[in-house]
Amino acid sequence: MKQTNVFKTSIILLLSVWLAVFVLVPNLLVLVASFLGRDESGFIKFTPGFDNYLRLLDPIYLRVFAHSLGLALLTTVVCLGLGYPFAYFLAQFRPSLRPVLLTLVIVPFWTNSLIRTYAIRSLLAAKGLMNNTLIALGLIDEPIRLLYTGSAVLIGMVYILLPFMILPLYSAIEKLDRRLVEAAADLGAGRWRRFWHVTLPLTLPGIIAGCLLVFMPALGLFFIADVLGGSRDLLVGNFLKDQFLDARDWPFGAAASIVLIGLLLLFLSAYAYSLKQFSAEENH
Amino acid sequence: MIPSQHIPLRPVSSTFWQMKSPLPCILTIIGSLLLYFYGATASSEVQEIRLFGWSDYLMPEILEQFTRETGIAVRYTSYDSNESMYAKLKLLNSGGYDLAMPSTYFVDKMRREGMLHAIDKTKLPNYKNLDPRQLDKPFDPENQYSIPYLWGTTGIGLDTDKFKPQYLQAWADLWKPMFVDRLLLPNDMREVFHFALIVLGYSGNNTDPEHIRQAYELLKKLLPNVRLFNSDAADVLFLTGEADAGVVWNGAANRIRREQPSFQYVYPKEGVIIWMDSLIIPKNAPHVELAHRLIDFLLRPDIAKAISEKVGSATPNLEALKHLDPKVRDNMTIYPNDKILSKGEYQTDIGEAITIYTQYWEKLKAE
Repeated sequence: MKQTNVFKTSIILLLSVWLAVFVLVPNLLVLVASFLGRDESGFIKFTPGFDNYLRLLDPIYLRVFAHSLGLALLTTVVCLGLGYPFAYFLAQFRPSLRPVLLTLVIVPFWTNSLIRTYAIRSLLAAKGLMNNTLIALGLIDEPIRLLYTGSAVLIGMVYILLPFMILPLYSAIEKLDRRLVEAAADLGAGRWRRFWHVTLPLTLPGIIAGCLLVFMPALGLFFIADVLGGSRDLLVGNFLKDQFLDARDWPFGAAASIVLIGLLLLFLSAYAYSLKQFSAEENH
Repeated sequence: MIPSQHIPLRPVSSTFWQMKSPLPCILTIIGSLLLYFYGATASSEVQEIRLFGWSDYLMPEILEQFTRETGIAVRYTSYDSNESMYAKLKLLNSGGYDLAMPSTYFVDKMRREGMLHAIDKTKLPNYKNLDPRQLDKPFDPENQYSIPYLWGTTGIGLDTDKFKPQYLQAWADLWKPMFVDRLLLPNDMREVFHFALIVLGYSGNNTDPEHIRQAYELLKKLLPNVRLFNSDAADVLFLTGEADAGVVWNGAANRIRREQPSFQYVYPKEGVIIWMDSLIIPKNAPHVELAHRLIDFLLRPDIAKAISEKVGSATPNLEALKHLDPKVRDNMTIYPNDKILSKGEYQTDIGEAITIYTQYWEKLKAE
């Protein structure tokens, strides 16, 4: 018995050390760097101050943040719109079939998302499968330009992130107690009212979890916009890369990362708060 | 970065799981990790050099041949941008690697920052093979710190099925309204600003904030013509019909031409951008001697020829050039004539001005 305890403590300690060394310390370094100044040949100069954060208030950078937030939000809304019915119908299948279908949702994860993004690019290309099919069917004469547009970026983002929406929604919908919906029907509620007043509130934790799981990575993803959007727009991710590599302005890049991390923490704490609310309601 | 392949992990103590408190347990793990890394450094006494180079820029066969002939093993680590190579070498205090292959302006920058080891040409009998026209360039006068490896140009490419070549003969032609939403530009700040500065009549290495601002204003007017920015797949984009004209590297241009004869590479009237990747030895390289031996090996005509043929870029090696297939040697896309070269410009380090460029580059894309 004691043996396993020692084992347990060592594993926990090892993990804590690991997290401290590879997560906490690097992030603290980023935090410290964000208050220092740029140095042409040494990356960082010791000139403490809030300059980097003040520079971020420049309208260009606010626009970069706003653009990233907007794209992430749009992706989340579209994923929710597609994911909810998907998860709902998935949950209606025979229980023996469900694991198979769920596996099919997960299968794309086995391939690197960057490779899948490039695959979308060849599908949508001017001489790609999509255009060739449309031309062969006689629907169009000239290839249409599908790539390097805002919709191509959105298609890519939704495609890559949709499973993150479906999985939590599915688990929430599957757990839904059917008897409650039946009771509402017995009491004379129509289809729409049953959904609005019973199904939706009960699956809300799944909706919130799914939205967060899509929204947060969407905020940081930039290679999809690069590959499918032609790098014409600047997202937070591109901005960070530019600062760290091209401008070698590590402190400024660090300040932007800290703001991004701050935003994500804000969303996470909102999520934690809402979870607490739900469990409190249930206990009542 | 951390050497890892050849040293077996030291066996962890067999009494590991029986330890009473977790602390010694952790210490054992940390200790063995330390030993592991220490062991890796100590073993570098074996004849092995570390080469830090562009991906797909030196074939393993060549390095294997070097190992066979000299008994010196080479470990090739690749990078995909000058910036990441620079950051790594800087953080390693110009040590850790014995050789790297930065492009012009990074040779310049690293040279000025004292990150490079002077090249001892007496140790390079094959140095004499190099083309004098490719030596003594502004980014490293007299080649004190760098040895040319491969070079090329950045010019204009177009599909002549879609546009007549006479409409696109100069950098300034890119602004013509006929190219709305058709152009491919490299996703590379220095290159994009370079040709805008050339159009304005300035040097591509300008550091005057006012001139950079003017270039930005000019580029803003070019944006409606830009379909996409991409640096790594110009060939794919032309072949899949996504790009019809644009700014491309001559290596990519050559590959497109092989598949699509209607493609043409144009040397812009105002002057082309010339790039070069050079071999350098970092200041604190562990094996300076051996690095010289590898450089000399790479300067051998047969080796330089093989590399140039495989990679598809031009060799600065005059002896290798003599042995090249005449078809390749006379290919204007790869080997422009002296008149074109004399009008070309290399990129040099622009120091602090890089932050001004970045600011305008971001402004350009964010608006």
